[in-house]
Parts: sequence; C-alpha cells; structure tokens
Amino acid sequence: MKVYFFATCLGSIAYSNTCINAIKLLQKEGIEVIFKKDQTCCGQPSYNSGYYEDTKQVALHNINLFNEPYPIIVPSGSCAGMMRVDYLELFENDGNYSMVKDFSSRVFELSEFLLKELKVRYTDTGEKIKATWHSNCHALRVTKSIEYSKALIRQLKNVELIELDKEEECCGFGGTFSIKEPQVSKAMVHDKINDIKSKGVDYVISGDAGCLMNISGAMDKMGVDVKGIHLYDFIAQRINLV
Amino acid sequence: MSNFHSKEQYEEIINQKLNDNQLRKNLQSVMQTLKTNRKNTIAARYTDWEALRELGRRVKQNTLANLPTLLEIFEKNAIKNGFKVHWASNAKDANEIILSLMQKKSQNIILKGKSMASEEIHLNAYLKENGISAVETDLGELIIQLIDEPPVHIVAPAIHKNRYEIGNIFKEKLNAPLESEPEKLNNIARDHLRKEFKDFKIGLSGVNFAIANEGAIWLVENEGNGRMSTTACDIHIAICGIEKVIESFEDASILDLLLVPSATGANITCYNNIIRSPRKEGELDGPKEVHIILLDNNRSKILADKHYYRALSCIRCGTCLNHCPVYDKIGGHAYLSTYPGPIGEVISPQLFGLDNCSPMLNLCSLCERCSQVCPVKIPLASLIRDLRSEKAGEGRGGVLGYSNTHRSKIEKQSFMIFRNLATSGLKWRLLIYQVRIFGGFGKIFGNMIPGLKNWLSCRSYPKLDATLHSKVKQLKGVIYE
Repeated sequence: MKVYFFATCLGSIAYSNTCINAIKLLQKEGIEVIFKKDQTCCGQPSYNSGYYEDTKQVALHNINLFNEPYPIIVPSGSCAGMMRVDYLELFENDGNYSMVKDFSSRVFELSEFLLKELKVRYTDTGEKIKATWHSNCHALRVTKSIEYSKALIRQLKNVELIELDKEEECCGFGGTFSIKEPQVSKAMVHDKINDIKSKGVDYVISGDAGCLMNISGAMDKMGVDVKGIHLYDFIAQRINLV
Repeated sequence: MSNFHSKEQYEEIINQKLNDNQLRKNLQSVMQTLKTNRKNTIAARYTDWEALRELGRRVKQNTLANLPTLLEIFEKNAIKNGFKVHWASNAKDANEIILSLMQKKSQNIILKGKSMASEEIHLNAYLKENGISAVETDLGELIIQLIDEPPVHIVAPAIHKNRYEIGNIFKEKLNAPLESEPEKLNNIARDHLRKEFKDFKIGLSGVNFAIANEGAIWLVENEGNGRMSTTACDIHIAICGIEKVIESFEDASILDLLLVPSATGANITCYNNIIRSPRKEGELDGPKEVHIILLDNNRSKILADKHYYRALSCIRCGTCLNHCPVYDKIGGHAYLSTYPGPIGEVISPQLFGLDNCSPMLNLCSLCERCSQVCPVKIPLASLIRDLRSEKAGEGRGGVLGYSNTHRSKIEKQSFMIFRNLATSGLKWRLLIYQVRIFGGFGKIFGNMIPGLKNWLSCRSYPKLDATLHSKVKQLKGVIYE
C-alpha cells in the first residue's frame, strides 16, 4: 500500500525527527511512503486570519500535488483537520468543490490511520514512566482523532497515562493567535503548565507540533522539569524504533 | 455613546485585566463551577443531549427562515391579548419609546429586571440624561450598578466579584454591615430592594421567548425580582430582540430545556414567568398596561446574510463564555462591548459596526470549544473566522461598517508573501534552507523581530531543525519525488 506523507510546515522547520519517526511507524507496517518534495503548508495561518483567497491558492497547490488516489497521512491533527474539514468549508460554492472533496476524503491523521486502517499493536520496551497528554483543539473538535492518539499510548503497558484536569482546554497556541495576542496566549499556556505540573509526570505528550512548541517553550522558560514530547517520537522511542 | 474602540484601548484593558489577580482567580473558579455543573447535569438528567441540541438548532433555523411572518403573527396575537406592541428599528427608537411612556405617566423611576437588550441600547444612561432613574433589581445587576460597571457576563453580570468584594460594596454603597455569607448578602439586597419595590409604578424586563401563536412572552429567572418587576407594577415594559420570537410553546419548551443547563447547570429555573396579557377586567392584580418593544437594531441585517443569520439562533445562555479559554482569563469588560465572549465576537461587530470593534475578533484562538457546547449549534468559531475575513476585506461585504473598517496593509502583504511561498515547492524549500542557515540568528536578533519577539515573551527560542528533506532523502524505502 502506498501513502503520501504530508510533513506540515512546522514538521519541516522544527520537527524533522518527528516526521522521520512518523514515516518509520508507517514503514514498520509495510507501507510505502511517498514524500512529495514540493509540499509546503496546509494554509491554516492565512485561513485563520481570514485571508480566504490566499488560502485557496495554497490549498489548490496541495490538492494538485497529492493527485494520485493514495491516502494522505498527516502527523498533526490540526493540519489534518484543515485539509479534511476546513478545505470543504473554504471551497463551498466553488467550482473546484468536487475535486477538493476527493482530496479531503483521503486525508488521515497518522494515529487514526495506524489504528483504524492498519490496526497496529505496539509492544512497550521502555521503563515504567508517568506521562500526561494534551489534546490539540483542532484534532479534538474538527478532525476528531484524539481518541486514536490516546488509544495508541494506552497500548504501551509501562506508561501510566495521567489525564489533565483541563485536557480539552486550549494551550494558547492557536497559530497566529499566539503572535497577535501574546499576553492572553501567555496566560493560557501558564494555566496549561500549572495543570501539567500538578500531575507529577515525566512527560507531557501531544500530537501536534504547534501546541508542543508552545508548551515546551514556555515550560523551558519557566524552568519546569517535565519533558514535552511529540506523540510519534514518544511511540518510536517506546517501541525501540529510533 | 460611541461604540468605537481602538486597538490600543483593547490592548490596555486586556493587560489591565490580565494583571488583576483577584479577577483572574474569581473568573477561573466560577467558570470552572459553571462548566462542571453543566456537564454533570447533562450527564445525569439528559438521555440524548446531542439530539436535543439538533432539535434546538432546527427550531431556531426554521423560526429564522420564517421570522417576518412570525413577527406579524406575534404582533396580531399580542394585540388581541391586550398588549401594546411597539417597533424599534434602533437603540434611539427603543429609548425614546420608553422615555415617552415614562413621561406620559409622569414617572421618574423605573425598576428593571435583567435585560441584555436594555444594556445594548444603553437605556440606563439615556434615562439618566433625561432625569429618570433606572433601578436594577437583579442581584448581579444591582451589584454592578452600585459600582457603576457594565455587566461582565450576559447571564451572570457580577460574576467577576467574589462574596467578600460584594460585602464591601454593600457596606460602602448601602451602609450595610460588613458581611460575606451569601445568605446575609442576599438579605441586604432584599431589604434594599423591598424599599424600591414599594409603590413603584413602572417595571421593565427583557424577554426570553416571545411565542407567536399565543401572543405571549416567557421570562426565565432565578430570583423572583423579575416577577416583581413585571407583575407588581401598573405598567410593564418588555424589551424584546426580534430574534426572540418563536412559533409555539412546544418550541419554547425545547429551547428552555437547552437554555437552563447550559446557563447555570440547573435543569430548571426557580421562576418561569409566562405572561399572556395585562390585568383583565375583574382581576385583582397584575399590570394594567403591558408594552412590548420589538427591537431590530441591525438584527434584520444579520438575518439577511447567508451565514451570519445563524448567530440570531442565540438564546443567550452564556455557555460559550463559560467555556472560552480567553474569556476566563480577561473577563467580559475587556471586550469593550455589551456582548463579550464568542457570541459577542460574532454579534457585536454586526450590531455595532465592524469598524467600531474589529480588534475583539483577535480574542479567539479558534479552539472551537464554543461551537461544541452551543446548545443551538451556532458555528461560533467559523463565524468569528468569517468576520476576520470581513476585516481583511475578503468577506461578503455586507457587515455593518465594512467599508470603514481599518485594514492592516502589513498583514495583507505578509499573507501575500506566505501564499507566494506556499504555492511553490522551490521557494518553500529555499525558505526552509534559509531557516536552517539563519535560524540560529533568531536567538540573537529574536527580540528585534516583531512576531518572534511576541513569541519569546514567555517561551524559549524554538529549536529550528530544518533538515527534513535531507533526512527523508537518506531514509531507505521512501519515494522522494
């Protein structure tokens, strides 16, 4: 089986190891991965700021690029939601709608694909640890892929998953939101970190590079001794894929 | 009263609220309680909340599709029942109608039950200018009136004050003994208001549901002063946004079942006041006259838009505020509008002008939690995003104040550059390459680059590891094409 891999903009700029681990997780299941070198960004930055025409151009770039009928696998619930759900809204009443719909129906968040389509079973080889999980808002409410991500973590028998009190609350990233409203964003990420701190865990795991960059960056600045880690780096580590 | 607020005014008040630790603490604790109560009630009392939401959505959608007809039916039946119906196309009309009723009856005091529509038209300030005092009788409204503040929340207007602060307000403004126990505070408010209620002639209220087929109005409240304001007076004036008109009692019951748990987490309110007529011949009590003011104030403009009309489904439960991760950090006053929070971001620009309040559209991380909890399924986050497109000059252009809205040229250019890069594989790879080569300089110059400076205000410099393409090329088995 062949699939396209969409690395996302943050994946290619700040999380290349995560993308490599994500690809390895697919290869481990016998999947052949196609990496289109002309891939860019899903278009969320302009979309969320209301620049719909610019965003349509970016979306069409992706749609034309991933044109073969292969599944498009995204290691981020946020970008997957943009390409699967928001593109449809963006192209409502547009002549390209049916083409967009075909594209969107092929988009999967990686954990969803691993569990639902490939039915993976993981054997944990790591030490006993405690970890908590932050749900990315877009993955939770738009892509609806969070349950798959958490189900993958629950397969790891030496990982005690301790849930946050406010797991479903935004961490304050929100893409351009964190730049446009830095003070509000700061208050939000500090609340998130207080919740994380209260759990006495070794790791906070998230399936989204944006949230992770936000939470880890703020924890680092605050000197909090919890390690922020991407879901696919975490799994790869636990099953000895790295 | 000007509705315009600059970006700087927004920044100033947001920072002020963020630095108010007591406010942050109060908001967080109350919002958490409201969220938890709602969740528990829905889990314990409702077998299929989602289906009920869908029903509520449909009820409101059908109503809005038929609104002009339903308004006429309501008017006809209300008149038949003895109500006097007035039409107010804007705030000025509504205020003038109320003032002229007061003058005709030679009254200079009006007692108010809670009404957001009266806040929207700034009724209290208008009446004051004309020598008439409006006395708030809702406990929350009373508290904020004593300290001359607008409501911080559409359901719970004084939710930003804790009981100790309220005790101090009562001590200072009402010369009451210092108390902090809720029951004692309630008694202070009760004693104070009883004096006001004695011999009052005119009462004002809002409306939750105006039922077209019956020509009746339905008011929901928890304290009883709403019932006092509407029944113990000679004249009752009810101010009602036109979107509150629905077809039948059945529809109202569905919406009431959604409204109450969403608002407070209770499954029923203490009082449901259904008013079908003024006092009739031979009856001993009730107001002799009831006036219903149907307020448009740009609502019909919202109704005309193919997406935004859905915002008129709102039943003012406030649950989108309670669940908003921005609202519980800054509180309602920081939105500089009668309507704060997610629903406020959607309706304020449309009621008061996009040119007047567009900075509030930034107060949303698009987390979508509001859309998820809205009892009538208004796609709030999508509508906020759509309004951002109006602000960017790329919307449908029908929003009030569209052409006068300030548009950032820098932002527009930035996204043009983004589009230019993100639609070319080659340019994008060059960008990644530049990040790889120059990314380290960000650590040194980060505080001079505006966006990065904001990012670094509370976070470490991100590890920019822009080596994906070379790593993928080296990875065995990957088709890199």
